[in-house]
Amino acid sequence: MKKIQLTCILSIILLVLTSGVSGQDESLFFKAAGSPANPKVQASWNKYYTYAGITDLCKKLASAHPGLVTLGSLGKSYQGRDIHILTISDKKAGNPDLKPAFWIDGNIHSSEIQGSEMALYTAWYLCEMYDNNAFINQLLKDKTFYIAPTINPDAREYFAYVGVPPRSGLMPLDNDRDGKFDEDGNDDMNGDKNISQMRRKNPDGEYIVDRKDPRRMIRVEPGEKGEYEMLGMEGIDNDGDGMFNEDGPGGHDGNRDWGFNWEPNYVQSGAHKYPFSQPENQAIRDFVLKHRNITGAQSFHNSGGMVLRGPSIQGGGAEAYSRADDAVINAIGEKGALMIAGYRLVTIWRDMYTVYGGELDWWHGGMGCFVFSNELWNSYLMFYDTANTDSYEFDRLLLFEDSFIPWQTMTHPVYGEVEIGGFSKMFGRLHPGFMLETDAHRNAAFCIYNSYQSPKLEITNLKVRKTEGGLNEVTATIINTRMIPTHSASNLRYRIDPPDYVYLEGGKVLAGMTVQNADLNITTEQKKNPERMEIENISGYQHINLKWIVKGGSKFTVRVESVKGGRASAQTE
Amino acid sequence: MKISLKILFLTFAGVVWSVCCTAQDRYSDYRTMMQKINTLSGDYPALCTSRSLAKTAGGKEVIVITIGTGDKENKPGIAIFGGIEGSHILGRELALGFASSILKESESSEIKALLGKVTFYVFPDVSPDAAEQFFAGLKYERIFNSAQTDDDRDFLNEEDPFEDLNSDGLITLIRVSDPAGTYSESDEDKRVMVPADLSKGQTGSFFVYSEGIDNDKDQKFNEDGPGGVSFNRNLTYNYEEFGINAGLYPVSEVETKAVLDFLFDHFNIYVTFAFGPQDNLGQPMRATERSGSAQTSAQTQMPAQGQFPPTGQMPVQGQMRMTGQQRKITSILNSDEVINKLVSDKYHEITGIKGAPASRTPPGNFMEWSYFHYGRYSFSTPAWWFPAERDKNAEVAFLKYADENKMDDVFVPWTEIKHPDFPDKKTEAGGIKPFATINPPAEKLGELVSNNYKFIVAIAAMHPELEFLDVNVENKGDNIYRLSLKVHNKGIFATCSEAGEVNMWTRIMRISLETSGSQKFLSGQKTQRIQRLEGDQSAEFSWLINGKGSIKITAGAVNTGMITTSVELK
Repeated sequence: MKKIQLTCILSIILLVLTSGVSGQDESLFFKAAGSPANPKVQASWNKYYTYAGITDLCKKLASAHPGLVTLGSLGKSYQGRDIHILTISDKKAGNPDLKPAFWIDGNIHSSEIQGSEMALYTAWYLCEMYDNNAFINQLLKDKTFYIAPTINPDAREYFAYVGVPPRSGLMPLDNDRDGKFDEDGNDDMNGDKNISQMRRKNPDGEYIVDRKDPRRMIRVEPGEKGEYEMLGMEGIDNDGDGMFNEDGPGGHDGNRDWGFNWEPNYVQSGAHKYPFSQPENQAIRDFVLKHRNITGAQSFHNSGGMVLRGPSIQGGGAEAYSRADDAVINAIGEKGALMIAGYRLVTIWRDMYTVYGGELDWWHGGMGCFVFSNELWNSYLMFYDTANTDSYEFDRLLLFEDSFIPWQTMTHPVYGEVEIGGFSKMFGRLHPGFMLETDAHRNAAFCIYNSYQSPKLEITNLKVRKTEGGLNEVTATIINTRMIPTHSASNLRYRIDPPDYVYLEGGKVLAGMTVQNADLNITTEQKKNPERMEIENISGYQHINLKWIVKGGSKFTVRVESVKGGRASAQTE
Repeated sequence: MKISLKILFLTFAGVVWSVCCTAQDRYSDYRTMMQKINTLSGDYPALCTSRSLAKTAGGKEVIVITIGTGDKENKPGIAIFGGIEGSHILGRELALGFASSILKESESSEIKALLGKVTFYVFPDVSPDAAEQFFAGLKYERIFNSAQTDDDRDFLNEEDPFEDLNSDGLITLIRVSDPAGTYSESDEDKRVMVPADLSKGQTGSFFVYSEGIDNDKDQKFNEDGPGGVSFNRNLTYNYEEFGINAGLYPVSEVETKAVLDFLFDHFNIYVTFAFGPQDNLGQPMRATERSGSAQTSAQTQMPAQGQFPPTGQMPVQGQMRMTGQQRKITSILNSDEVINKLVSDKYHEITGIKGAPASRTPPGNFMEWSYFHYGRYSFSTPAWWFPAERDKNAEVAFLKYADENKMDDVFVPWTEIKHPDFPDKKTEAGGIKPFATINPPAEKLGELVSNNYKFIVAIAAMHPELEFLDVNVENKGDNIYRLSLKVHNKGIFATCSEAGEVNMWTRIMRISLETSGSQKFLSGQKTQRIQRLEGDQSAEFSWLINGKGSIKITAGAVNTGMITTSVELK
């Protein structure tokens, strides 16, 4: 029976897949500005995707855009699911792994699921606009995107099919330190795939029902009589130890598990045994260590409408922030706050709280990348108003009470007759369907802006002059035409990546030097290997002037190779 | 072919083994160590098992030997480590020596009783790649494994190793006569080179480098040889990001991860003993008073005995409002200090060793990790040291000690060599032999093994141990009974170190009652927590129960062992 069902489902998927990539009859619509009107991969952005749905979309993108997309796996999650990674770049225009690249991940925190939709939308948008938009077309020639829509697929499935998962993945943890693992979690007593609130009628309770909207519980004024007491999350005492829901599934925090500024659990709640305790994070680490071309990263979270930047500890931890880096991070971050309406640029430790072992700090300190973490969705977005943020009214007027689970009477083994209800897991921190695409586009555009600002190196002013002694003097200028430097301060401090190498080919190179002032002949000679000049860093918009003294040769090539800045070359006539 | 090779190997190993066995007159190389381990588990199959936790980059196994009886995983556990730092070969010998001594003594009544109460986990060597350098043709003090690393972060791997310029099989020093040099011969001992002290009117006449050539012409000598990452720099406490031999991130190495996974999985382990450069037995760790430190706050956050935290959350989360900085524990806590002092006193008393070695706590070391991040009682000692005085040159002190103790094979006299980097300058090789300052002559091994064995056995006897006291049933009439009792820790060690109390990776004891028939609790809960008990401390509990019949009471956690008793309400 099951097999037949599976075949049915498979054939339906196949049908959808084939119809999905074929495009629509162009006589039925015309293009709105900035969106792909007739995408090869049909996708709608007013719903949430299951792991199977994400897998399906990733596969469709890869098969519809073979010149742009490679679908791979970072490794397996704790429960054995593949962690998908989309590499998106114009493959014909150069090896994607050698271009400056931008990393996007979503869903590191289990219930913060819409990061996956933001990531997927970005992937889809880049692919579908490549043929429709000159900017995107050039961007994918110059740059690469590595996009991992969900780096926590186990908990995403739990969210979709069971209820609200812990913050983490599902690796068991003995939260109450009694020797039993995950033995007393929340319980979905009414079987609606939601873990809701429990309330009980009690004349001594501190809550009454709001007369304007009976769904809402409000706390009584001192001296006023209550009707209800609130009993916490839906659940029973599964292990009979006198506590409710004290040891649910998992319990560590995937975003306190990174190998930089790490601290143990009693300092940083959510930390596990040591950095990279989780298989999901191990998989990402191993990929990133092999992809040093990544210059920037975005890790999507929810909620609060914030573009988060480091440091995560007062004064920073071991990582380095230079004034120049700060200026770049702020300039990009402020642009994000402009692009994503209702969001603001926030420094983690100062404006939020201290975080040890966060992903962002590892990207910045350990990998030398420029990184942001967007906290998606905030209450402003409901009425585009910071003053009126009434969830009940929004749900009533715009969602027609779709996100509220009406209070329902149940018998609880300890509490007796209780009522279970409240906002569903789909509201509060997640976008309602109709707002998902808007915010996805704004966040995608911010990622695209980040990627655009990664270094782009060009070689200009390549000249040859004969010296009096019959030698050739070759000069050239290397320019970084974008905002982000090839090496951040952390990168320089820890020597994470090699310097930028500038090669001169043609003739025998006798000497090589960087020129500080050509008029006054102020130079710094590189005594070893002058045919491969080493440039520590090329800052945003910086010009580096080089000079070689060469014996022989007639045609000269100057090539620059930078791990994070990509490659460029120029040749004399 | 394969078989004959194996036989050959076994014969060879057997020869080495019998030589070592008759008199502990040499250090055990990897092969000998493995053979000894196999022999132990072969000779004492009922008490001793060994298993490999990981294979290092150098292809060597990291072994744990488990010694105990009965339900080994549910008794207080004691972990003993050698090879914490690869150049400290003595550690391997002492850890292995402990295993073999306790097994030899396992029929004695003292050890039989001890093995009934606790389980030993012996890790003879957690840095086997590094240790092999002691036995290699070219000897130098090596602390790192065989993973490929770029130690000087110049994007070339292992491009500037040592060279044995005087062909004596040892890497010592070279000195180059040069008026621009900054070193001169020490006034106290001409053999020792010291930086010239301008404030005393001295000028140098030598440059001093490690023995070798500057292969990559970067003006640095031997800064990037083979290897590697050091186990004793790769741990999370005070980890130095991108530090030398620290690894690319904490716990990056297979052997580090495997050992830590084993430890974290063994909640019964309550104490670790490490033989390595760090010391808190010669000189115990000292508590420092800090305002707003975790030391005071951790205590105030703890709920009353038997009670759960009010919100039903972990004590850790009760401290959420404090900043992380305030929650960090960076010096020993008061009650742990008392135990450290006691154990240190016992160390001096039992081994007869005097004074203390120079204190060294490099970032990412094991001794501090085990206490501050693993939350266990942690003891560490080099087990052998020479007396050093503050502000005195350590090399001079060592040579003096060596002369007094007739250790005549510790110095390579300065002799002239040809050096390609200094064709026109007088260059000499010489200096203290590698390993000599950290590892005693092999003839001392027997005595050291025996003393350190006795020490660990004596401390092991102080393990936490629970008992019920004053179990009392009062018949209150009307089928109502009051049951009361004390849970007493009759050990000297607390049930868990104070630093471990707030750590997720230690267990919290429970006391639970199994009722019979239709008994009901009128007061008191079926399951309660027992907060940490110091040595000789008790916790009192009482319940009011309606209904006759027997009640089974269970208390403890894996790190204390579980105790049970039964009472009859009648």
